[in-house]
Amino acid sequence: MAWAGTDLIRRMAAGDADACGTFYDRYARLVYPLIVRIVRDPEDAADVLQEVFWEAWQAAAAYDPARGSPEAWIVTRARTRAIDRVRAIRRRSETFVAPIDEAPAPAEPGGDAAERAADRLIVITALDRLPDAQREVIELAYDGGLTQTEIAERLKLPLGTVKTRMRLGLERLRETMKPTT
Amino acid sequence: MSHDPFETQAAAYALGALDGEERAQFEEHLAGGCAQCAGAVREFGETLADVARETPPMIPPAHIKAALLQRVAATGSARPLRRRGWVRWAAATAAAVVGVSAFSAGLVASRYEARIGAMARETSAIRADLRRQEAALRDRLTLSQAVIDLLRDPATRIVALGGAGPSPAGTGRLVWHETAGGHLFVANLPPAPPGKAYELWTIAGGQPRPAGVFKVDVSGRASHPVPPAPAPVQLFAVTLEPEAGVPVPTGPIVLASAK
Repeated sequence: MAWAGTDLIRRMAAGDADACGTFYDRYARLVYPLIVRIVRDPEDAADVLQEVFWEAWQAAAAYDPARGSPEAWIVTRARTRAIDRVRAIRRRSETFVAPIDEAPAPAEPGGDAAERAADRLIVITALDRLPDAQREVIELAYDGGLTQTEIAERLKLPLGTVKTRMRLGLERLRETMKPTT
Repeated sequence: MSHDPFETQAAAYALGALDGEERAQFEEHLAGGCAQCAGAVREFGETLADVARETPPMIPPAHIKAALLQRVAATGSARPLRRRGWVRWAAATAAAVVGVSAFSAGLVASRYEARIGAMARETSAIRADLRRQEAALRDRLTLSQAVIDLLRDPATRIVALGGAGPSPAGTGRLVWHETAGGHLFVANLPPAPPGKAYELWTIAGGQPRPAGVFKVDVSGRASHPVPPAPAPVQLFAVTLEPEAGVPVPTGPIVLASAK
């Protein structure tokens, strides 16, 4: 029953539609809120979600476990598609949508809620420990889907400073979370 | 290509914060085989997957999975591995028979796919419903636990609130702890009119302080968590106010504690 994520992707690459369903069940709940956070409109987000898994199905054969876990693979795909979508919308409307000014997405506790709550606590603590300047830059990119140039303009900072803060912030985040993952 | 100009790009790339042009250049650099950048992108990717756990999981609409699987099923036969299997099977069978049975197999398959699709939709709807119920039960359990914890504390008292003004039948009980706050339970209050809600006030030194707005369910009941007040509370009251709440009471008092 509990297929490893890499096995599911391998089976998808071999054309196994059941594996695609199982893969979706396992990861859709993880990535859907990420897409909603960036795209904001739940209907648009659902649309992007389907696109993400459709592309995953098509790209399964190209998945290389050495380049990242299945989780990182699908999360990266989801975030990239969501950011593409929100940038396309922004270009079309040419009005700037201010990011991250609303309440977090609604919670839907699942089976292993306690375990996930613990994970979440680790991450929240790690984010909390970031210096404000680094967290701000990361959040604008992470939730707002802004490019580093847009962030620099928005915060009135030199581009180099934004790049450095982004890198230092992510490095620190990685270090803080490392022992627990 | 030199690694230097890309040194700081991996983080921005992993975050999806590179502009189109920069993104293309960085991907070219990655494709060129820079192990250092590939390693950084991989590690940042894993970190961001960990961060993804911070967002509470959300159940996507059930029709998405059904639509995805339909698309997958429609293309499945075009995928190389399946075609190879089909070819092997076809080779072992007479061509005419193949034509007929492939046709009927196709019919049967498409009918089953439709049924499976419907069942998948149903299953995920049921699952979504169960999750909702589970969430509701968890909320109630959390509330019960909070109240039990309060009741264990000898400093906790129960304040009775009686109906007043427009709703004389209303009743309320407030489990109250001066420093920990408490919970208000009300019954027999009429549902607030559209755009309105009930607002609780803690009154200390003659000054009412807002203590949150709440609505009652169809049976006229509600529970509402109450934050601790900065000074000992002499009186609790509930008024009918605009939905968003107001800083000082404006509407009629519907419940009040005895002095």
